[in-house]
Amino acid sequence: MAPTDSVNFEALQILLKASSREQVVALCQQASTLGQAKSVPTQTVAQVSTALSVEPTEARQLTQALQAVISTCLQQDLSDSASIQQIFPADFHQNLKSLLVGVLAEHLSQWKTQAINSQVSLPQLVDFDWRVDMKTSADSVSHMSAATCLLQLKVQNVPKQVDRVPPVDVVNVELSKETLDTMLDGLGKIRDQLSSVAAKP
Amino acid sequence: MAAAKYHFTQEAPPDALLSDLQTLNKFQDEQFSQLISIVFSFLVEPSKSARMLQQLDEFAEHHGISAGPLKNVVKSLLSVLNGALRRNLTPALLKEDLTNLGVTEERAAYLESQWKSNLAALSRMAMGQTLMVNQLVDMEWKFGVTAASSEVQKVGNTFLQLKLVVNKGDRAENVYMELTLPQFYSFLHEMEKAKSSLEYFT
Repeated sequence: MAPTDSVNFEALQILLKASSREQVVALCQQASTLGQAKSVPTQTVAQVSTALSVEPTEARQLTQALQAVISTCLQQDLSDSASIQQIFPADFHQNLKSLLVGVLAEHLSQWKTQAINSQVSLPQLVDFDWRVDMKTSADSVSHMSAATCLLQLKVQNVPKQVDRVPPVDVVNVELSKETLDTMLDGLGKIRDQLSSVAAKP
Repeated sequence: MAAAKYHFTQEAPPDALLSDLQTLNKFQDEQFSQLISIVFSFLVEPSKSARMLQQLDEFAEHHGISAGPLKNVVKSLLSVLNGALRRNLTPALLKEDLTNLGVTEERAAYLESQWKSNLAALSRMAMGQTLMVNQLVDMEWKFGVTAASSEVQKVGNTFLQLKLVVNKGDRAENVYMELTLPQFYSFLHEMEKAKSSLEYFT
């Protein structure tokens, strides 16, 4: 969580070396993916330093400064140019300031969704699949026809290490008809509650 | 008529089985019907073996018969009935087997009628005993709204959390997961499709 005073506005001046607006946008996108990470991955630093032809230390400082600006805007939920302008000091380079403010205002809603999607949560459901099987015999009965449902859930674990994409667990569950009916009952109750909450003005 | 082929089993039953079943003929009517009701209540709930053994001991004491031979008779009868259940024998075929094994017409007819009335419960029990892999035992859920987070001060998105309890054979495993609303709606939609598919096959 970076309060406004810790944004390294000097480092932002390095952006003056950028060749185009698109490059600035790209740098901001990269910084936004870092979220609240304390250190910048070396790959990113290398990319930035070659793109802008600056020293790696300067590249790191720039990325961290951009990261700090973006996270401040997200935290304080600043969405329009006027409020974003407030965080820059008065003596900041005017053209650079208007460029940055423009880029930030444009992309903030997208970055906000990104931040929300990657926030603290339980393992997320990624995908699921089902099939219906017909059991025809077993050792207790030699002829029968019982239908069961097999459900496969792909769940993405919470990240346990920085910079590592967490593994996806696969859970296979077998449901008999009664179990499936009961489960659908429960899911239906959730849906009814959701629609009653949504219906309230 | 000495029939070499039976419906409840493919191989020839041992002589001990035949003599045990013929002992059934020696019971008086009331004793016989009481014994048969003990046997059938065990067949419908095969996990309650301790209860059946206790009932057999009480029966033996009450009627002054020794428990050992009684248990052998019951064991043989159970093997015939289990074979019949496995092969989904109709009451008529079961009666045929019993008469060929040496049970009197009257006793076999009584067993046939008991079999007929219990058949639905017995089949359900046999199917219920079939293997289920990772059976879903319980599902708990809660849903809510995220108010704030360390990155964004005002969030407002809904989440749904599910806890599934899965029977993994030797223990129950809890699986926790979170779904977004669109995921929940598509999950609900797919489960309804699965349900209608299951219903079509039942």
